[in-house]
Amino acid sequence: MSKFNDRVFGLVMLVIAVAYYYGATQFPVPFGGSEAVGPETFPKLLAVILAVCSLYMIVKPDADNPWPVATTFLELGIAVVVLIAYALLLEPLGFIISTMLAVGTLCWRMGAKPVKAYLTGLISGAVVFVLFTYGLELPLPLGLLEIN
Amino acid sequence: METLHYLSIGFGVALQPENLMFALMGCFIGTLIGALPGLGPANGVAILIPLAFTLGLKPETALIMLTAVYAGAMYGGRISSILLNIPGDEPAMMTCLDGYPMARKGKAAEALAISAIASFMGSLIATIGLILLAPLLARFALTFGPAEYFALFVLAFATLGGITGKNPMKTLMAAAIGLIIATVGIDLSTGTQRYTFNVLELYEGVDFIIAIVGLFAVSELLFFIEEKAGAGREMIKVNPLKLKWREIVAILPTTIRGGLVGFIAGVLPGAGASLGSFITYTLEKKIVGKKGYFGEGDPRGVAAPESGNNGASSGALVPMLTLGVPGSGTTAVLLAMLVSLNITPGPLMFTQNAELVWGVIAALLVGNFMLLLLNIPLVGVFVKILSVPPMYLLPIVTMVAFVGIYSISHSTFDLYFMIAFGVGGYILRKLEIPLVPVILGLLLGPEMEKNLRHAMQISDGDWSVLWSSGLSIGLWAVAIIGLLLPVIVGPILRRRMQAAKSKVD
Repeated sequence: MSKFNDRVFGLVMLVIAVAYYYGATQFPVPFGGSEAVGPETFPKLLAVILAVCSLYMIVKPDADNPWPVATTFLELGIAVVVLIAYALLLEPLGFIISTMLAVGTLCWRMGAKPVKAYLTGLISGAVVFVLFTYGLELPLPLGLLEIN
Repeated sequence: METLHYLSIGFGVALQPENLMFALMGCFIGTLIGALPGLGPANGVAILIPLAFTLGLKPETALIMLTAVYAGAMYGGRISSILLNIPGDEPAMMTCLDGYPMARKGKAAEALAISAIASFMGSLIATIGLILLAPLLARFALTFGPAEYFALFVLAFATLGGITGKNPMKTLMAAAIGLIIATVGIDLSTGTQRYTFNVLELYEGVDFIIAIVGLFAVSELLFFIEEKAGAGREMIKVNPLKLKWREIVAILPTTIRGGLVGFIAGVLPGAGASLGSFITYTLEKKIVGKKGYFGEGDPRGVAAPESGNNGASSGALVPMLTLGVPGSGTTAVLLAMLVSLNITPGPLMFTQNAELVWGVIAALLVGNFMLLLLNIPLVGVFVKILSVPPMYLLPIVTMVAFVGIYSISHSTFDLYFMIAFGVGGYILRKLEIPLVPVILGLLLGPEMEKNLRHAMQISDGDWSVLWSSGLSIGLWAVAIIGLLLPVIVGPILRRRMQAAKSKVD
């Protein structure tokens, strides 16, 4: 069992703790002079706690959980890209089309048959759209389907 | 007497038709959420918060609905434990031990009915406990000053990992991460910009609802993809129910014991529902002794943990409502709802927002009856939905999370933020860093800093004020014990729980 994960994460957090502490020292002195507890006190305290925890993780790391193999990593990457694309296309394409694409792709990648997957996406998107726009009067973007 | 008076006010609120309707809806959705493996109660409540907002519900209605979801999820967890041998949520793990063997013997319907009755009894006992204990604790908490509150927050973080938690340093680290994220934005008392990097969206700080939904919902999707668990597992068919009165009466003593022990485990910091159901199961095994056939489908082995975990979940509401300090993930999410409704949780809530608090408590009682009625005749409906494979379910759940977040502010920036939190949550879970302290840090950060400031202003910058009163010393002591105990007792308890679990597999 390697203990690589905890060490790397601890190191990253240690860097963040130092940067965070430095950031706290750079706050301008508040109007009316400084007090016993200024805006920088609490962050400084937190930075110290984070640094101690990071050091502990570096010195006494737990055994690693196995990371997924490369193909699974690719699937995870696809899922994240799909989610980002979903957020990106929600307004231009409209809710129903973007939901069909996003939910459909996710279902498909998780093992559903493509036709069934995209049909699930289309139906769920349409149902939620109708529910929100007419039931709750919260309009979701219609995008391409909009008729001028 | 005073309590009865308030309780009648509470029933007045809970029995309004609108509130009844939302409670029923919450119970139904909650049972569903609890039943679906991979959609835990904290996760489910988190996804519903933005929806409750966009519906424009009144505070008490929103909270009643979400509390009903919470109670329902505790009921639902047992369904997949019994039929699939996978706990729907963590506390339902112990229900697998006898529930699944019972189902394999062709007594699935009986196991489901017994567990529903046990859940009902556990909840009922604990809700009565809540009614008796909460006002007392709230009155006591009025004597807390800022220094005591600061110590109390530290205690909450220290005990959050629970006695069974693996690595207290990781709990602490998670809390620090949450608190650090909470400092982003304009400092409330001086107006100083902190860590905003001149990004306009960061001025108001990080919205914890976005963080919660991202951490839970999106990371869950990623975990399912990794485990390739899209197809789901084979389920045991439910037989027609043949339960005799005698059998119900036979488990009643078990459920009463379970409810009491569960309630205590729920109230105490660091214990929680998982430990509650474990203790009740072990206790029952001891009491029944050789007459039982635990592990092979003894009905008492189904009833004990179910009453225990439902009792614990109602008990966990006590510190959340009276002190504003939640002891579990789901109560933390409920607290998020309160904070975003601009209600300051804590002892004052019992006097200032009496209608809300007592409305929620009365709704718990009403909801419990609803859940019993829902769960015995309608169990078939839940079983049907449970057979939908996760590969369809999780993408749809993710979509609902997107809609919820988008409909709060209609900004896609929030969605990117949510995805980032999801990826972060996935990494943290991979490293076995718990997510709940992160969320609690996000939630309590501002309050904690405010109390620290007040304490220091009163003492004129003398740090020893934080541990100068007897009460605060006591709180610090419990906090330190809470951090040390997992290191000493944790391995033993964990080994026992593991041993009990591996007997089934």
